Amino acid sequence: MENFEDILTKMTRPEVTHLKHQDMLANAITKAKDKSVINWWWLSIPLYLIATLLMKTIFMPQSTLRLNIHDFTSREIYSSVLFFLVLPILFIVINFISIRNIYFLSGSPKSISFLRTAWFNVLMVIFSILILIIYSL
Amino acid sequence: MNLPWFKRIGIFFIPTAIIGWLILLGGLAYAVYVFIDIDSRSHSVSDTLINFVFNLLIIGAVYSLIAYLTIRSAKT
Repeated sequence: MENFEDILTKMTRPEVTHLKHQDMLANAITKAKDKSVINWWWLSIPLYLIATLLMKTIFMPQSTLRLNIHDFTSREIYSSVLFFLVLPILFIVINFISIRNIYFLSGSPKSISFLRTAWFNVLMVIFSILILIIYSL
Repeated sequence: MNLPWFKRIGIFFIPTAIIGWLILLGGLAYAVYVFIDIDSRSHSVSDTLINFVFNLLIIGAVYSLIAYLTIRSAKT
């Protein structure tokens, strides 16, 4: 029995040096970054179109951004729906899922400091909302 | 075929395999062809550039989509 007590005193808490959820979190962050980069490339197309329409508005005083967007959407029906509606909505959903995954794998922190890890995804959501707002003008 | 074909550095996908380099060179060759085609039909430098940048962004987006889909190696 003394031997058993000795064993108990020598026993320490099992040390797990490598947690599985750390791998999952690292994987989720890498995937979220890869996705946000591809979102950036695809969102750059509608953002460029908006920039060109904005320049047209500035250099043609009689026109407005709203008028130019309506003119563009009436000429390019399918591509405008794809670039100004389908892609932003799709990217909002994708980025929300990525941010949610990172949030839960980080242990659901109370503060929003975890967003520093996923700031590019947040930026993509903001750009997508901006495109949707401009399209709905 | 052995994956990955690309690795991501910042917002760019860099080829790591021969097939990745072939895709990149194909994209660049198509971009040059598009530039020459637009330039032959446009009336000014700004007209060329405005239309070319739009096409270049589409080429970049398609290239990045291919790179994203082939960036990971298959799970063993």
